[in-house]
Parts: sequence; C-alpha cells; structure tokens
Amino acid sequence: MSKILEIENLTVSFDGFKALNNLNFSMNTGELRVIIGPNGAGKTTFLDVITGKVQPTQGRVLFKGKNLKKIPEFKIARIGIGRKFQTPRVYLNLTVRENLDLVCNQNKNVFPTLFSRPRNSEQRTVAGLLETVGLYSKANLNANLLSHGEKQRLEIGMLVAQSPDLLLVDEPAAGLTDEETDNVGALLLSLAESHSIIAIEHDMEFVRQIANDKVTVLHQGALLCEGTMDEVQNDPRVIEVYLGEAPSITPEQINILRIAASMAWADGNFAPEELNVILDKLSQEFATNTEHQHNLKQELQNYLGKNITLEELVPKLQNSTEKEKVLQLSYEIIQFNGINEREVKAYQQLLQLLNLPTETIEQIETEIKAKYN
Amino acid sequence: MSNETGVQIKQRKRRNKLIEIGVIIASVIILAVILPSIIPAFRLRLIGRFLSLAIVALGIDLIWGYTGLLSLGHGIFFALGGYALAMNLKLQTTGGELPDFFTLYGVKELPWVWQPFNSFPFTIIALIIIPGIVAGLIGYLVFRNRIKGVYFSILTQAALLVFFNFFNGQQEIINGTNGLKTDTEKIFDIVVSSPGVQRTFYIITVICLVLIYLLCRWLTSGRFGRILKAIRDDETRVRFSGYDPTGYKVLVFAISGAIAGIAGALYTVQTGIITPSIMKVAFSIEMVIWVAVGGRGTLIGAIIGTLLVRLAQTFLSESFPEIWLFFQGALFLIVVTVLPDGIIGWWTNYGWFKLRSLFGQNQVVTYPSLEQDPGVQQEKDQI
Repeated sequence: MSKILEIENLTVSFDGFKALNNLNFSMNTGELRVIIGPNGAGKTTFLDVITGKVQPTQGRVLFKGKNLKKIPEFKIARIGIGRKFQTPRVYLNLTVRENLDLVCNQNKNVFPTLFSRPRNSEQRTVAGLLETVGLYSKANLNANLLSHGEKQRLEIGMLVAQSPDLLLVDEPAAGLTDEETDNVGALLLSLAESHSIIAIEHDMEFVRQIANDKVTVLHQGALLCEGTMDEVQNDPRVIEVYLGEAPSITPEQINILRIAASMAWADGNFAPEELNVILDKLSQEFATNTEHQHNLKQELQNYLGKNITLEELVPKLQNSTEKEKVLQLSYEIIQFNGINEREVKAYQQLLQLLNLPTETIEQIETEIKAKYN
Repeated sequence: MSNETGVQIKQRKRRNKLIEIGVIIASVIILAVILPSIIPAFRLRLIGRFLSLAIVALGIDLIWGYTGLLSLGHGIFFALGGYALAMNLKLQTTGGELPDFFTLYGVKELPWVWQPFNSFPFTIIALIIIPGIVAGLIGYLVFRNRIKGVYFSILTQAALLVFFNFFNGQQEIINGTNGLKTDTEKIFDIVVSSPGVQRTFYIITVICLVLIYLLCRWLTSGRFGRILKAIRDDETRVRFSGYDPTGYKVLVFAISGAIAGIAGALYTVQTGIITPSIMKVAFSIEMVIWVAVGGRGTLIGAIIGTLLVRLAQTFLSESFPEIWLFFQGALFLIVVTVLPDGIIGWWTNYGWFKLRSLFGQNQVVTYPSLEQDPGVQQEKDQI
C-alpha cells in the first residue's frame, strides 16, 4: 500500500527547545490515525510542520513522496492537505453559504477570483455540502450567529469542500456535548471511507469510538509507541506518561484487574463495596509487602478501564493460572451483594470465554461459597 | 425577513440595487447640477475639496474597513498624485521651459523627473499609476514578510515621515517646503483658478467619486470582497484554505494608493497649492478618523463621515474660532465610545430596526440578530 505521509527524523526546535525530537512517522493512504499524547507532547507542532506553518529544523516531511520543505501554507493546502483547527475557525462575518463558497473556489489566484463568476458546479457542491452538514436552513445566516457545534460542523464542511486527500483534525470533540461528540465521530468515520485522516484527541472515549486503526502516542516530541488502542492502553510507558509514574504491576495484572472491574460493571452499577473487594484482593495478590499493598490499592484505581468488553480482554490472558485467578475474583464479586440476572449473564459469558475445565470451575465456586457462608 | 426563499432573496437584492442606483443618480443631480447653481463659487470650491477627500476616504475604507489594514501613510499617495498634476500644470504654463523657482536654486536644466510630465496624458496616467506602484511596492515588502496589525500601521507612518522629509529637503527638484502653486498656472491656456475651470474640476470630482464608489462596490461584493473580509477576520485560516493573502493585500493596497493619488490631484487643483505639509502625520490620521466616524466597512459611511467631519469643522471654525477644536475632540470621543461602528454601522445594526418598529413594522422584541435565526423564528410561530 502506498504511503500518503512519511516523516523522517523530524526535529523542530524553538530557540533550543525541541518541540519535536527526531520523530519518525508514516501512514498509509486511506488510514484513520489517531494521535494522542499528554500536554506539550508536540501534537500541534506536528500538524504545524505538515501544513507548513513551521519549518523543520532537521529531517523532512514527505506527502505522497513529495518533500514539503519551503512550500508555503497555501500551496500545501492546494496540493491536498486540509486542516481543522482546535477551536472552530470560520469566517464570522460571512454567511454560511459564503463560507463554503470561498473554499469551493476552483482557482484561488487573485485575478481569476476577481474577474470570474462562480461556476454552476461549484454552486451545486455548496448546496450539497450545506445538506451534508445539516445547515441548509441557516445558509443565509451570518456564521457568528451559529452555535459552537454548528460552527464545528461548518468547519468540517469547509474542509471537505477543499477536497483534500489528507485531513488533519485537531481535537474535534473539544467543548462538545456527548451527543454532538457522537455526531462528529460518525462524520469522521464516514469521511474516513474516502480520505486519509489524522486526528489529534484527548478524550479517550472518543478515541475508542474512532480508532479502528492504529494509534500513535507522542511524548516530549518523540514517538513513544504505536499500535492498536488496546496495545497502547496497556503499554506501561503510556500509562507512565499519562499518570506521571510507572505502573508497579505488569500489563497482565492490569488485564486481570479490568476483567474483574467489568464484572462489577455488568449490572450497570459499580458499587463502592465491589470496588473495595477488587482492590483489596488484587493488591494483596500483587503486592510484595504491606506497605506496598497500601500504595498499590491507590494506584490500581487509575487502571480501571471503563466499557472495555470481555471479548477484548479475556483472550489476552496468558495461562490457566491467570484464568483461574480471574474466575475466583469474578465469582466473589457477583456473590458479594446478591446475584442478579445481568451479572449471571456476564458471568456465563466469562465462563464461555475462559474455556476452563468443569472440575476447576466447580472447585473454585465451592471454595468461595464456603467462605461466604 | 429570514424565512424567505431564494426567489425572495433575489427580489430583495434587486430592489436594494434599484434603490441604490436611484440614490446615486439623485446625489449626482444634486451635487453636479443643483448645488453649483445655488451656492457661491467659493463654497462650491470648498465642497469640491471635501468630495475629493471623500475619494481618499473610500480608499482607506477599502483597506482598513474591509481588509483590516490600518494605513497611517496615505498622505504619501495623496501627495504623489497632487505633485504629479501640479508639475504638469507648471510645465503647461511655461510651455515646457524651466519653471521660475528653479532659478532660485541655480538649476539650469529641467530635472529628468520633470521631463515626462510635459505630456498631459502621461500625467493623468502617472497620477494614478505612480501612487499605485509605490503602494504596491511598500505593500509587497511588508505583506510578504507577514507584518500586520499595529506594526503595519507604524511602518506606514514611518514611510510617511521619510517621504515628508524627502520632499521638504529637495528644493532643487520640487521646491522643498514652498511646494508647487497651481492657482496661477494654466491648464489648456486657461488660468486654473478661473471660475469655469474650477467648476469643471468640481464636476470631474463628482464623477470620479461616483466611479470610484462603483469600483469599490464591485471590489467588495462577490468573492473578492469576501476574501478581503476573510483576511481581515482570520488570515491564517485563509492560508489554510489555499489562498495566498499576500497577493490580495498587495493588490488592494495598490488600488487604495491609486485612489488616493486621484484624490490628491483633484484636491490640489481645488486648493491652489501643494506643499509637503500634506504629508504631515496628523492629516493621514484624520483620513482614518473620517472613515471611523462614518463607519468602517461601509463605503457610503466613508463618504458621509468625511463630509460630516469636514463640514462640521468649517461651520464650527467659522462660528466659534476659539473653541472649535474642542467640538472636534468631543465628536471623536462620542464616536469612539457611543458609536464604535460609526454612524452607518449604528444605523444598520440598530437605528433601522428601531425606526421600523416605531412604524409598527417588524417588531424587534429581542435583538435583530437573534430574530433572524430561522430556529428562533420557527419556535415563535409554534407559540
């Protein structure tokens, strides 16, 4: 598959401060890549370099094999890279229709713009886009009368009007309600069918919604790791940069924790007592001494994943010891404050996925029952 | 007024266009036919000067009101136009010989810069083209390096000072501080200050004002005008949309300079003299004030603002010679604090709706902008 974007040994330094440090990156045509990273990781500088706003100090950026060095922004925009800013930037004193019309213009040089009249094909494109972004009824309204979400949609519409090959989207979900976030996510996914997209995002739930391909993590201007959402979320280095300290337990142990947590979530209500059981049990299990156990209990809370399905988590268990441990813990949780239907259902699913011998299951269940009676 | 269909919008636009054409024709008739026959020649000459200042205000509005570039150096282009015509008139009077003042400085031969101004057609073209080129050059150097905002204003003012000092110091070329007198010169063998010539200049000024107004109207409507507004509001976004703002800004700055050149030429012949003092800092700032008073981003506002400020100055300085400057200061304070969008801006944003609701039409309950919202309209209908 051909590469739409390749970045080689890219360094950008501002007065000695390296915003990007020897970064290597590449993505395929048609990919939707999500880039995450803590504040100051260089995410926005990364977009600035691609769009020509900032020149690389070292290294190079290749778009479809073409080096973008010293090409001014407007030319980069013309060869097919569109950028959406973090806060919606539309032209507030123009109407919605005029906003789209400006971007649709086929020839953006000074004199053709001055002397030529808008073509019919362009007018049709504008009308179609108004329909797509759902602003047809407000087409003749000044953009400063639109709401935040409407402006966000208008800007995405303007981006599409540019018909770029590569879309750069900077935090599209910032400041939106949950419903609007879902809409924007769906819009991005539908755009991803015909465009290559790089999306920068903070909101992990939103990332989970749109990241069906690879996720790249930036940290201190360099590439920290790259992989699927799950790989990235379980990577100890990622957890360290996001939480400020390295996890003292292994990824496998985090996985066990998350399965137990999702059992507790099964009835839609994660009771504090249930949380306590999980944390108590696991910290005892993983810790080396009492002091460590106390600290670990605090730390484990950070790793509880939300809304991760059992189908994703269970196959990552390495051996039968781990599986048994999971079973033990899960059974204890559903036993804890009375069994209800949904918990049973989740438990059955877990058993099926674990695929343990029947004797083992019975043995564990009897042990725990005995303990509680 | 908002739930209208495309056809209704087209009808409204056509109606507005017809109204505008009607107003323009009426103003031309009043200014060019009625006014000259009812007011004395001295007053008419004054009005002619104000109208030529209104032309330069249009140029300022084009770059400041629409493109967001506050130029404090339009005196340069104004003076270049004025000097171009004045040089030609000097040479017309002497029949191509060396004008008198040169002998004072021991200059024996006509300097090369004067040579082409022997030709009247060349002069007419030059008084448009030279300021345009100078503006374009300054603009290119500044905009290419992405200098904008207050730095642009400071640079234009610095350029103004450079030109002022240059013209002041070059006695051997353009008579230094004394400037060039046009009143006693001849144009096509008639003295410039004679009533017939002055009246012709007045008519030409009215025609130029209308033509330049139409030119600016054309530039600011349509896509080109929208890009100017887009550059004013968010230049970076314009770049990422695939436009190169530099070209647009250079062109519009050059046009604005050329307009100032025409205005300067017309002003000079109706004043009777041009001196480097026309390039004083205060005068260029005053040009900006006319536009601010009338309303930025509204072409008609630039014209109305200029005429209003200048007429008020004349009236007040005649009636209250000692304290008229206080009135002027008060006027500017009122505009800045009470009417930040200028007179026309206030009228379109607020006054017009107020007037309509006074006559029971289109009651505005909340804000005009809110009532335009189709969503709000729909909700209102449902209640």
